[in-house]
Amino acid sequence: MFDSELSIHCIHSMYSGINISQTDARPMYLQIMEQIRARIAVGDWPSGRELPSIRALAAALSVSVITVKRAYLDLESEGVIVTRHGKGSFVADVNGLAGELQEEKLEEHLAAAAGTGRQLGLTPEDLAERLRRAIRNLDKK
Amino acid sequence: MNSLTYKLIAKDFHQHRLLIAGTIAIGLISLLVAGAGTLMLFNIGMLCWLTAIAAYGCVLAMLSISGERKERALLFVLSLPLGYRDYVRLKLFGVMLCFLAPWAILTAGAVVLVLAKPGMADGILPFAILLCGFLLTNFSMVLSCALFARSEGFITLVIIVHNIAISLFIFLVGPIPAFRDHLQDASPTWGPEFWIVLAVEAATLFVIFSLPYFVVARRRDFI
Amino acid sequence: MTATKHIEMHAVRKAFRFFTLEDLSLDLAPGQIMGFVGPNGAGKSTSIRLMMGLLAPDAGEVRVLGHAMPENQALAKRDIGFVSDDMRLFGHATLGWHMQFVASIYPGWDAQYAKALIKRFNLRAEQNVSGLSSGEHTKAVLLLALARRPRLLILDEPTSGLDPVARHEVLNELMDVLRDDDRSILFSSHNTVDVERISDCITFIDRGRLVDSSDKEDFLERWRRIYMQVPPGTALPDLPHLVSRVVDGQFVTLTTDRFSPDLLAFLGANVREVHRMSLEEIFVASVFHHREVAGL
Repeated sequence: MFDSELSIHCIHSMYSGINISQTDARPMYLQIMEQIRARIAVGDWPSGRELPSIRALAAALSVSVITVKRAYLDLESEGVIVTRHGKGSFVADVNGLAGELQEEKLEEHLAAAAGTGRQLGLTPEDLAERLRRAIRNLDKK
Repeated sequence: MNSLTYKLIAKDFHQHRLLIAGTIAIGLISLLVAGAGTLMLFNIGMLCWLTAIAAYGCVLAMLSISGERKERALLFVLSLPLGYRDYVRLKLFGVMLCFLAPWAILTAGAVVLVLAKPGMADGILPFAILLCGFLLTNFSMVLSCALFARSEGFITLVIIVHNIAISLFIFLVGPIPAFRDHLQDASPTWGPEFWIVLAVEAATLFVIFSLPYFVVARRRDFI
Repeated sequence: MTATKHIEMHAVRKAFRFFTLEDLSLDLAPGQIMGFVGPNGAGKSTSIRLMMGLLAPDAGEVRVLGHAMPENQALAKRDIGFVSDDMRLFGHATLGWHMQFVASIYPGWDAQYAKALIKRFNLRAEQNVSGLSSGEHTKAVLLLALARRPRLLILDEPTSGLDPVARHEVLNELMDVLRDDDRSILFSSHNTVDVERISDCITFIDRGRLVDSSDKEDFLERWRRIYMQVPPGTALPDLPHLVSRVVDGQFVTLTTDRFSPDLLAFLGANVREVHRMSLEEIFVASVFHHREVAGL
């Protein structure tokens, strides 16, 4: 009985829910990045799924191409998406949150920690304990 | 003449179709009145016929050129794939054609009236033809000026000059003995004076028509 | 291989009795939208008419789609859709007549798209042009330009006089044009919100001169308002790239067009807040600064 009284215009498309507000204090490219990240995080945009082309998304959102391009570039440097030249952009593998770049970053951090630990005179076990403590603190937040 | 030019001229015709039809109707009715018999009706009829053609010319020039400029439809025309020279040429050509249509019909009508009506002396024919030729030349002057004028005041001045010129023509050319003395003749006299005046009209027409090509070549701003 | 720029203006000069456009240079690459912003009387319409070949420059060069203007304007205009807010259609005819007229002139006319636009813009083909409201007339002119799918669209105030719904529809259609990376748009507008949203690059013009021309994101990243609280007796730091400084007792507001983290570090601990600026704020600050510097 409700269906006949309410007629809601339902649009089902890959990015119809993305809204860019100009009254929002955050710049448009950040809003785009956030909303894409959100969809990837919950799994609506699964790993390996192709993203709309920059121009297609720009046209759909009525936002300049240069803004979408910037969002895609930043997402790629975060490792959230991967761009294959000439083929398009895809949601990155590995939970969509870690990528090759993230792996690199982790190695860098670990190398720095090892070096600093040695300077402080910590043993490997001490260092491991400190790492576990840091993870516990992270879980608490 | 390329297809865009043709379309724009057709547009002008379409735009002025009522005006053209109205002028032809009034002109033909005036000729009928002129041929009704009495001198009074002849004078009234000829005056109306004359006014119809002259007024039509002025209104046409105003509407097609100044009107288009004022109404900003000019910007739309200029957004089409044509250059400045193309525009001036097509306006000259197109508006002239719009004038020629009723002019030709009413001139022919006047000639037919003179020849066919038994009560009307055919001797009037040379002068009548020169008058028709003058109306055409006079109109082309207005048309040319409308194309170059940038202010409406100037065009208004030109129209006033145009109207005065018609009276001047009648008062100056009419009394010339070669015409005046033969007005009541049964058959027309095609004397040298006739051909001279006709030649002057034709030459003036030619000069006025070529002027745009020289002035246009120097001007580079559409607006 | 770099594709031919769609618009190239180089050191263009055009003098009128009371106004001169001086040393204007701008470029529009294919696949881009340029927003052209300036106060009234700045020379936007003059510049646009120079691009369309309706005016000839006194000095400098204008090339559109590779054609020299105004000499080759007839060729160039085959591929340009021009809409100006003071343009009028033929009053004696209907919108349908105009559609048929334009369709017969341009081979690129897309009848399906035209039909869709009539619906989207809420117009009727049978309606006489003279009976259209000014907003409907603007939409009609836009329709005639869009349905031809021209490579370049030059629009002088395309959304002026349009209600928010119509504006939204028009912007959607303009962005749709950019799906093709060989098509481009230049539009002038007072609506800085729209310009900020859809432009790839933006050009500011004031009193006949170029004030600034850059990528939109570049503008938005370079400009900042910095709020500082400077204790009495402390000298204010001497800042390069300062557009304006407003001092109200201890409260100092700086506006800069070359923001960077280094700048922030340089200013030190007295900085309370750093705010991004909207395009409108950037535009106004730019113009005032330009007038000061140029002594206009």
